Amino acid sequence: MTSTPASSATVDLIDTIVPLTPAQRTWETRRQRPKVVAATQGSCEAMFSPTVAGISVAERLLVALHVCRVSKADALAGHYRDSLLAQGADDHLVDAVDSSRAASLTDLRLRTLLDFAAKLTERPVEGDRAAVQALVACGLTTPAIVALGQLVAFLSYQIRLASGLRAMAAAEAAP
Amino acid sequence: MTSPPIRIHGFTTEVLEWRPWLDMVKLDTATPAQLAALDEMSAQARSSPYFLLLAHQPDILLQRSIAFNAIMFAPGGMPRAERELGATVESRVNGCVYCASVHAQRFQQLAKRDDVIEQVFTEPSSAGTTPREQAIVRFSMQLTSNPDQLAAEDIRALQRAGLEELEILDLIHSVALFAWANRLMLNLGEPVFPASAGA
Repeated sequence: MTSTPASSATVDLIDTIVPLTPAQRTWETRRQRPKVVAATQGSCEAMFSPTVAGISVAERLLVALHVCRVSKADALAGHYRDSLLAQGADDHLVDAVDSSRAASLTDLRLRTLLDFAAKLTERPVEGDRAAVQALVACGLTTPAIVALGQLVAFLSYQIRLASGLRAMAAAEAAP
Repeated sequence: MTSPPIRIHGFTTEVLEWRPWLDMVKLDTATPAQLAALDEMSAQARSSPYFLLLAHQPDILLQRSIAFNAIMFAPGGMPRAERELGATVESRVNGCVYCASVHAQRFQQLAKRDDVIEQVFTEPSSAGTTPREQAIVRFSMQLTSNPDQLAAEDIRALQRAGLEELEILDLIHSVALFAWANRLMLNLGEPVFPASAGA
């Protein structure tokens, strides 16, 4: 993971968005599983790596924003929104996805990506070959589809990990 | 496991295959990074259609493999059988027949029994042979279906059933991990049942 920016090496996104600090017992408990902490952050960085070809970083961030909104994961949605704006994404596009107006988008490829992501997030059992073929028809290669599938599936993990830790921190504060 | 396989509501403890809907990485043309990611997962990953598909993105697979093995196999904390139970509940609720089969079998192997698996396959909301198991199953269902509604009280219910902090974290990790795994298995390919494997 030589592509990981040096500046992000010290930032743990889960700690930031839960939020958790070293003063909390939940933070300490989490450090008893250091490989999980590192691989969770490492996975997140790999999901948005610019070295992944065939689906742009902006497309992946829009997918993440959409999935977090659909999942009512507000803190994570805010993170992905900020990331989009920080890298100069079109404000109107970000607003449309952020306010769940994805159906109004005219970009067919982006709409197909967002529809795939929402269905995979909310009704994973409905996944079928036709949904994958719709991505192929939009020009996505197999490696790009694997990257998209991993991203959406990882977001379901990230959202549950954050909400689980948030509940642990709340129980710690009011036992 | 000499007892006959459980088959309930389309879920099974039989050994299933999995068939991808997209082309896999071929071992003879795989890059060193792809082989390293496969080997990080397990000794069998080089012959698994699922992992050969995921190897198209080796950096992602490498990180996921490290996370997977640390969550399911790390020593201490929640007994491994209970992590497998959390994974099985997540898979049952999401309708992932393949993952449910694999992790129900691992539970059987570790716990030397399958009574709770039969209950989870039949009706997960009432499953659990002890108050501790019922608490684990209920929490797993809540985190699977309503992560945005999880609250301190859900953690306290686990504490009342005797779970310690690290055990609770291990359960959260296991359920969250299978939210990830189920979605790959359900959306990039399909399970193949023994009867139709040769068809």
